[in-house]
Amino acid sequence: MSHTPSTSTQATVIEKVVDFVDERVGLKLLAAKMLNEPVPGGSRWAYVFGSVLLFIFIMQAVTGVLLMFYYVPTADHAYASTQYILHDIDYGWFLLSYHFWGSTAMVVCVFAHMSQVFLWGAYKKPRELIWLVGLALFGIVMGFGFTGYLLPWDQRAYWATTVGVEILDKTPLLGDFMARFLKGGATPGQMTLSRFFVIHVMVLPAALMGLAGLHLFLFRSAGPAGPFRDTPEELKAKTDYFFPRQIWKDIVGMAAVFACICALAFWEPVVLLEEATPDPGDYHPEPEWYFLFLFQLLRLKMFSGEFGQLLGAMVLPGAFMALLAALPFIDRDPERNIFKRPIALIGWVVVMAAILIFTISAIINREFLD
Amino acid sequence: MSNERESMSPTQLGLGILWPAFWTGLPIKLAFVLLFLSLGMVHFETRIGLAFLMLLTSPVTVFALPTIVLGLESHIGEGAGIALLFLLSIPIDIWALGVVGRTFFLERLRREPQDGLGLTLWWKCAVVGAVFLPILWVTVSATTQAAISGVHSMFEMDFLKFVPVAERISIELTLWGTVAVGVLLLLLVIGLSLVGRVIRGTVESAPHTTESYQGLITRWDLMRVPADQGLMLTALTGGAVVLSLLFWSSLPVFTPHPHDCCKKPDVKAAPAFKPLDTLNKDEKMLAQLAVQVEALEKQKAEAEAENDKGKGKAGKDAVKAPAATAPAPPAAKKP
Repeated sequence: MSHTPSTSTQATVIEKVVDFVDERVGLKLLAAKMLNEPVPGGSRWAYVFGSVLLFIFIMQAVTGVLLMFYYVPTADHAYASTQYILHDIDYGWFLLSYHFWGSTAMVVCVFAHMSQVFLWGAYKKPRELIWLVGLALFGIVMGFGFTGYLLPWDQRAYWATTVGVEILDKTPLLGDFMARFLKGGATPGQMTLSRFFVIHVMVLPAALMGLAGLHLFLFRSAGPAGPFRDTPEELKAKTDYFFPRQIWKDIVGMAAVFACICALAFWEPVVLLEEATPDPGDYHPEPEWYFLFLFQLLRLKMFSGEFGQLLGAMVLPGAFMALLAALPFIDRDPERNIFKRPIALIGWVVVMAAILIFTISAIINREFLD
Repeated sequence: MSNERESMSPTQLGLGILWPAFWTGLPIKLAFVLLFLSLGMVHFETRIGLAFLMLLTSPVTVFALPTIVLGLESHIGEGAGIALLFLLSIPIDIWALGVVGRTFFLERLRREPQDGLGLTLWWKCAVVGAVFLPILWVTVSATTQAAISGVHSMFEMDFLKFVPVAERISIELTLWGTVAVGVLLLLLVIGLSLVGRVIRGTVESAPHTTESYQGLITRWDLMRVPADQGLMLTALTGGAVVLSLLFWSSLPVFTPHPHDCCKKPDVKAAPAFKPLDTLNKDEKMLAQLAVQVEALEKQKAEAEAENDKGKGKAGKDAVKAPAATAPAPPAAKKP
């Protein structure tokens, strides 16, 4: 007598597909490894920034591809095609505004993520490489902002790029070459637009994907640092797997950031200025908001003149980035509690306050220029 | 550790409850904010940042906001969405304070949370906010104004007039900003301490728990896991789908904020083109025109015939009476 298995034991189509893939690539083991990563001290809201950054990047890629369906990267048509996206394409205004505010959110989240790692002391041994790769990713995010800003080809874009390239030009030895390479001529024009476009949509995304993968691999190898204050007993009691609680927090973080970007797109949608011309007219050139502090710094008397400009535009930021890169090798104390690292705490407060003060000063400075 | 729990300051207590409650409720409120924005129900004015923050950081602002708006004639924006968000914040905050309060009581205070903890914490926080936030608002505004004018007048002095504009802006900002932020932080600490003092009674009335730390962690952890996870997941997914559909259906197709340079003219849509109807109409019109042309030709021919008759008669009459006063027809005129 033949035995017929009950329907409950029969594999569904999805299960069969999963089994098929699992047999060939070890999907279940991979998923288990990804999801069952222990999080020392349990899930926390402070850990969501990495996942949120990944989410923002994916959304930037999606909106960027949709914008590329209509955008024409030529000096003759870039401005008109951007206006066309803004005013004639269905939901084009929202896509472009989301892409614009998404780049701002990315910079804010990078700052938040770096601050969290710094304050938690998570850059210390054995996580030095994660910190270094993270710094490179920070540079790439800044590069995205810089190259993307030119693409609408309005006065703001043209002059922000002109100012940025002039600052780059002050770099000793390589500055002249880099400025000429980016501009492709004496003044920004078609070559500049083509190069910025290719860097923005080809070079930087590839670099970011590669480095983000390396960042995640290194993070998984070293494991999460966990909180700096709990006792070993508390840490052990609260340690949890990555799934489901941390994933839930990450999803909530992503939803909150998505809502914030959408709200900003509604509140302040992208509006272009006049089409780019080599004559600034009444427009006072200035870079994007996250470079404003540096721009205002260069207005100070102490940074005037050839040497002063070099000092303010290159030496100071370069020294600061070098200090950040060397941080895990200078700060070898295993103590991670930020309240027991007064120099680190004061340093972070001073840097953040300086960035804030100079950024707001640059905004106030506009009144004097007008 | 036990001493640390017993000696927790009112400020720590207030911060320990309000900070996570804010983050717990925020994502849900943001979803509604987004929906109201896409529906065009919220129009923020100049004080957007402050209003937005105040709305989102309730429960302490839930009664304070109307007080500030009415009492100080402050303007925060227009639209039914703000009022609706304000009302929606109440149940969300009660829920968030309940979740956070129970966790905080078990994990940090090692006490058994009472029933209805969320509601108790909510009304206490709301009452403190209603009294304290307007005071904070007035004090910080007045201090900031005084600091700005003080610093301005300081830099108007002769011996400071040499300071370049860029330096002056940054120094002024640092000086008045430090005063304003200092006062704001001080008052925030006092406010948190007040909240802590008000909810301390609720804490002290809660009995101590004798369970091990591991047991407590497991309990508060399980409190956050729904009994029916499948139902929870389905409900959340359904909610997300409904919100997404509402969002996309209400999202304006074209920018709701057109720039002055690019305002679209009011153009009426052209009627749809129907080839058969147009052909029939044209045929009818052609037939009508053909009839009209035929009629005109007939009329013309008749008129010419009349003229010819008239000419013949006139020729006979002219022979008879050459001094007639009637004007000659044009055809009779010769250059």
